[in-house]
Amino acid sequence: MSHFTRRQIAAGLMLGVAAPAIIRSASAQSATLKIGQVVPITGPAAEAGKYAMAGAKIALEAINKNGGILGKQVEIITEDDQTTNPGAVLAFSKLATNADIVGFIASIRSTQMHAMAPDILKTGKPTMFGGTDPTLTKLDNPWLFRCRPNDTYSGKVIAEFGVKELGLKKWGIVHSTDAFGTNGMKALDESLKALGITPVVIQGYANQSQDFTPVVLALKQAGIDILSSYFTFEGDLGIFARQLRQLGVTAPWVGSPSIVNTSAIKLAGPALNDTYGVADYAEDSSPEAKAFANNYRALMKVAPDNQSSWTFDAMNLLAAAINKAGKTDPAAVREAMLSIKGYKGAEGEYNFDKNGDGLHGYNVVKNVKGSIEFAKHIEFPS
Amino acid sequence: MTSMVDIHRAHAQSHKRGLIAYIILIGLLVYVATTKQFDAYITNILMQAVTYSVAVMGLTVVLGLCGQINLAQAAFFGLGAYAVGLGTVDYGISFWGCIVIGIGIVLFFGAFLGTSTLRLGGHYLAMVTISFQQILTLVMINWIPVTHGPDGVSKILKPSLFPTPQSYLGFCVVVLAVVGYLVWHLPETKLGRAMRAVRDNELAAGVTGIDVQRTKVIAFAICALLGGLGGCLFAGGFAYVSPDQFSFAESIVFLTMVLLGGVSSPVGAVIGTGLLILIPEWLRFLKSIPGLYLAIYGLAVILIVLFMPDGIWGFVSQKLKRFRKVLHLSADVPELELVQTQAHADDVLVVTSLSKHFGGLKAVDEISFTVKRGSVHALIGPNGSGKTTTLNVLSGLYTPTGGSVSLDGHDITHAAPHMRTAVGLGRTFQNIRLFRSMTALENVIIGGERSGNPVESGALAREERARAALNFVGLGDRAEELVTSFSYGHQRLIEIARALAGNPTVLLLDEPAAGLNSTEKMELRDLLKRIAAKGLTILIIDHDMTLVGAVAEHITVLNFGRRIADGDPVSVLNHPDVVTAYLGSDANAAH
Amino acid sequence: MDLVYQLLFTGIGIGSVYALVALGFVLIFRATNVVNFAQGEFSMVAAFLMVIFAVDLEWPYWLSLILSLGGMAIYGALFNLGVYYPLRHRTYLPVIISTIGASILVTNSTLALYGPQPQVLSNLLDFQGINLGTVFFDSQYLLIIGVTIVLVAFQYWFFEHTLLGKKLQATSQDKEMASLLGIPVAAMIMITFVYSAMIGGLAGILVAPILFVSIHMGGTIALKAFAATIIGGFGDVAGAIIGGLALGVIETFGAAYVSVPYKDGFAFLVLVMFLVFRPQGIFGERVAEKA
Repeated sequence: MSHFTRRQIAAGLMLGVAAPAIIRSASAQSATLKIGQVVPITGPAAEAGKYAMAGAKIALEAINKNGGILGKQVEIITEDDQTTNPGAVLAFSKLATNADIVGFIASIRSTQMHAMAPDILKTGKPTMFGGTDPTLTKLDNPWLFRCRPNDTYSGKVIAEFGVKELGLKKWGIVHSTDAFGTNGMKALDESLKALGITPVVIQGYANQSQDFTPVVLALKQAGIDILSSYFTFEGDLGIFARQLRQLGVTAPWVGSPSIVNTSAIKLAGPALNDTYGVADYAEDSSPEAKAFANNYRALMKVAPDNQSSWTFDAMNLLAAAINKAGKTDPAAVREAMLSIKGYKGAEGEYNFDKNGDGLHGYNVVKNVKGSIEFAKHIEFPS
Repeated sequence: MTSMVDIHRAHAQSHKRGLIAYIILIGLLVYVATTKQFDAYITNILMQAVTYSVAVMGLTVVLGLCGQINLAQAAFFGLGAYAVGLGTVDYGISFWGCIVIGIGIVLFFGAFLGTSTLRLGGHYLAMVTISFQQILTLVMINWIPVTHGPDGVSKILKPSLFPTPQSYLGFCVVVLAVVGYLVWHLPETKLGRAMRAVRDNELAAGVTGIDVQRTKVIAFAICALLGGLGGCLFAGGFAYVSPDQFSFAESIVFLTMVLLGGVSSPVGAVIGTGLLILIPEWLRFLKSIPGLYLAIYGLAVILIVLFMPDGIWGFVSQKLKRFRKVLHLSADVPELELVQTQAHADDVLVVTSLSKHFGGLKAVDEISFTVKRGSVHALIGPNGSGKTTTLNVLSGLYTPTGGSVSLDGHDITHAAPHMRTAVGLGRTFQNIRLFRSMTALENVIIGGERSGNPVESGALAREERARAALNFVGLGDRAEELVTSFSYGHQRLIEIARALAGNPTVLLLDEPAAGLNSTEKMELRDLLKRIAAKGLTILIIDHDMTLVGAVAEHITVLNFGRRIADGDPVSVLNHPDVVTAYLGSDANAAH
Repeated sequence: MDLVYQLLFTGIGIGSVYALVALGFVLIFRATNVVNFAQGEFSMVAAFLMVIFAVDLEWPYWLSLILSLGGMAIYGALFNLGVYYPLRHRTYLPVIISTIGASILVTNSTLALYGPQPQVLSNLLDFQGINLGTVFFDSQYLLIIGVTIVLVAFQYWFFEHTLLGKKLQATSQDKEMASLLGIPVAAMIMITFVYSAMIGGLAGILVAPILFVSIHMGGTIALKAFAATIIGGFGDVAGAIIGGLALGVIETFGAAYVSVPYKDGFAFLVLVMFLVFRPQGIFGERVAEKA
């Protein structure tokens, strides 16, 4: 270990890079087990970052109270990804220099995961993430474990629920043109086609639009009887929801998870009443979800959503896998993770498949006058 | 006294020593970059700093040297990065092929933006570049079949020559070193001087023979090229590119980098880039409060602009300056030679029915006169008579409303200023327009660099000629001083030397006596006589009658934009209209 | 046809927001010859002040409005003293950079103080809007259009018919001449910043119920407003208004009939075309420099 330290310090001094941080990170063989978390603390997603940290923290405290992992207390080290891709790469590679870190909780944003993936592969330690782009678990990267259902499932569930449960056929899709929205739209479109339905209108928009009138009018003109949406930012969703209702579109609406986000409901108010959302996390979907909700409320004073539930599960899954492996060796932890079957987390029941996808279904929830009520869980075989 | 050749040899030798030291330094850096075992974090930071530095040096050229703003450097960077990303991943083109293609693309866009809008400059250019940036970002996101859309391009290959991150880093350092070397030496080249001239004084640059528009476009294209090159290297280094990495916000970061480090030198670009990549990393400990470190970053930007206007490198090099010895060499140079073109005719400058109207105001109204070869011709008139407007039309700063101007048989009525200079027009300005950031010598060299100068070219000859011109006006021993350190009268002499170095066919002097004290006026009169003695044709515009009377052989008098008299000094000055015009205006002025 | 009316109304509504912000741009540009890249933050800061007074402290709307605009006056003055005034003798570049720095500083200070979550500010008017046929008129947009008209009229009266207005005009046309005439130029520039901050702030407060209050609300609007000022001919007040409205309408129709994702691109495409083919803008500004 000592040659490593010296080398790092030399590099630090030569470059004038912040020496204290490196010395701290290089202090060998500490008494605690460390988990690295890459999280947006600044930038547009900073709000979500707060929730993500809280979720992991709740799991962490419970783990430590019950004796930690392999008998050691656990500590989370966070780095800010600044809500940008290069920021995420730097944040991850900074954490990766800390040899004490045995596993990572990475990002809920798919593009950041793509950006970090080469470094994660190089680092070679189990990395839990929440980005829902289906391709992420098909990168031949054995270290990626997804703690949320991927977008093929959200598309399948929205299609299944709308067509079979609600019995509606004239679909309109509104989606953000970012990676999340575009992939979601594609998955939904495919699932609908599998059910023999072609959407009557598909409308993309650029994030942070100030006005959605043209989008709403296009939906109106197409005469849709069901609307589905993939919105990335709550602000956009709020503006769209209000204009949709003002311009008199009343079709049932099944949206991607953001539609049932706490802040989206706060911003859009009554405009989102009676909408359905697919939610990887729903408070009433299971006793585990309920328990998490209670703990989260006690800590944060607001209702939990998927921004925090997946990091809660990620932290618990890492702990479970390491304990099961009996050591922190990455390959052993990976094997243990893949062998986890039927683990009941806040998000649902985890059965990791060979790609690293843990969840294979979604909850459908309904916004009833601002409060979220569980409607149905739809699960697909992994 | 030393000869010019000796001076050049001394320069070349110190240059060579510098180059060797530089190569050793770079060799050392490359050695460290490739052999020292960095962890991934350090490698990533270095990779980002090195590739960004290449792009930021583009801004050193366009902003630092040429004084034009570019708020789309991230767009050019992104074009380069996407060329490598898409080229290697989707089209199976080799890394090197992609670099060539990428550079071709950015050069095309750079030149297109440049040619279409650079003539507007300033805030307009800022806006056009912002627009380009925004549109390009939208295209990257939405043109999914080609760009992969918001997912970005992953698994970008490094060139097989540099398979490991650190060998590739070493390669990038070499590229940066070469770019840095070229940018460092650019200011001393003809092109670099032209850019600095455009930055310091666009009007004067035009009339000293620089094609202002072309110079700006070249600077802009170089900036785009370096942006694209940096982007190409970036894509290879990080293996993943996506649209949000090349947004407007990144362009602002690039701009801040160059200003923070110092806009005038590639060293500043490296310092600024390094700091702006490292500062947010250092400030990570402030992360417990969201936004705090970016707030501090914003505050730092303001403070630097307020207290370190030339950036960090500018500040440092200012401090270092007093340790550097300035070469004061006055060389033996031959007497200034003023070659006259083969005379086509005796009439060298023919002005026919020239008019210039501003709305309803006829500032110049159908005036005609002819300047004879080898003569000293004066154009006089009271204030507001249209003298300076005439001169501005003659030198191409205003387009005439009517009439024609021909110089040495060439019709130059509608030619751009630098074209007129190429044909053989030289001028000075009433309110002195020198290139303020340069030495006297550099100012005069630019004058000698005009295309069409019949005197032999080549760096040595140009400098020799510039020194000769400075000697001719009596300032040869102060050639290496900045023009701003000269007195007003001496600055005027430098301006004349600048025009003389270009060996003009006709020299236009716009109120050369304005602002001079009586001793300086005497010196000026003697200088004009010496110039005339060399056979150069002079058109002088002034209302100082003693000067005009002493040197002019022929006088044209204007009043209210019209010609009221024309002929030899004695008859013109006794012409009744002239007397009325002058006495009238003098009488008015006295009140 | 109703579709067209609906789009037109929305376009004019959003265009009025651009126009209001553009107005603030132009005033500062005319007085100081620099482009203020932190103009959008005027709107953002004012909207946050409203949230503090009207939502957090639950004070009456009118009182909060007065206090917020008063706060903006102070902010404008501080902005001038900290960001522009020390650089007034330098070229436009350092000032641009300094305003960019200010924008980063203010945005992130707000983030540090208030957190990243968007805030809700309720409509000033009680009703949502009116339906005429199938066209819906959002009450907040109606209010914005109304305020824009009133403000333009006020501005015309102020600059053409009051002594202070004329002094401000003289300052923006020729600072040297103005100071020779005994006009306190520094004070005039100070007033310009204060007024510009208040107009920008008013735009922010008016648009907040529609776009929500977030640290990023000012950025996009300011960029569009900037484009509007150029389309209108830099430095021209009437041009900025027309430019803003035109931009709002063009991008709304462009989004409806060409492409929604490229919506933001239309503004800039129009702008580039203006710059290439009619750089003097709609009303024209002299671009040439005198010898």
